[in-house]
Amino acid sequence: MAEPVFVLLSFLVLYGALITVLHRDMVVCALHLAGSMLALAGLFFILGAHFIAGVQVVVYAGAVMVLFVMVVMLFDLKRKNYILFSGGLWPKLASLFFLTGLIAGVFPLSLHLFHPQSAQALKTTSTKELSSLLFTEYVLAFEVLGILLLLIAVGVAVLCRPKREGPADVMNTKKKE
Amino acid sequence: MDVGLNHFLLVSLLLFIIGLFGVMTRRNLLVILMSVELMLNAVNLSFVTFSQFYSLLSAQVAAFFVMTISAAEAGVGLALIVLISRQWTGTDLSSLEDSPK
Repeated sequence: MAEPVFVLLSFLVLYGALITVLHRDMVVCALHLAGSMLALAGLFFILGAHFIAGVQVVVYAGAVMVLFVMVVMLFDLKRKNYILFSGGLWPKLASLFFLTGLIAGVFPLSLHLFHPQSAQALKTTSTKELSSLLFTEYVLAFEVLGILLLLIAVGVAVLCRPKREGPADVMNTKKKE
Repeated sequence: MDVGLNHFLLVSLLLFIIGLFGVMTRRNLLVILMSVELMLNAVNLSFVTFSQFYSLLSAQVAAFFVMTISAAEAGVGLALIVLISRQWTGTDLSSLEDSPK
């Protein structure tokens, strides 16, 4: 496998994620998140999982990111003086300590635990095998996920429906402003 | 140097940690949801890595399911954020301390 491609893609993934977490402007956050997801699709591709890479591009970089950007556009973007991070110094220090502990603990452990045969490992997964597995062994979970997506659509419609009367009338208060 | 399993796992771990940092420290609800998506992506990367290096095809099915569920979660989460921003002012967590308008 090409090492420079891996280094470039993982750099892009981590850089996009860092900007997403650290930047003040929500639009910049959303766009860097989209870039990070596209680079992650590239990582899936060089791993040989072409179907998952395609789904990553379509679902994440397509659908989810469009949803995010649309919701970002609904809000007041001119107000830039909100507080970026919560808490004082101690939560940040504690989380940083936790994170370095995770890196220092988990990564050497994974070096000990997993010894894959990397030479013959990375063969391309055929979409045919994957889909036959998806539609035979996991067909129940697949159908349940379909029902879940339908329920989500109905639930979001119920959540956002305009109420007709009463003081908590969100649509009318919006119109009065 | 050959790129092996552990390099992909390291990228996955770092991505998860960045997402966790965002969830724990940011105050904006939208960015918190984006950080949750980052964490789900990191888990997907480790799923696919193990699937390819150990030729376990079921792990890719699991990654596919995680993607579906995270898309659903983003839909519900964004709808809730829109509702919250209508009831309170803005999408900051600090605005939730006030009473709804």
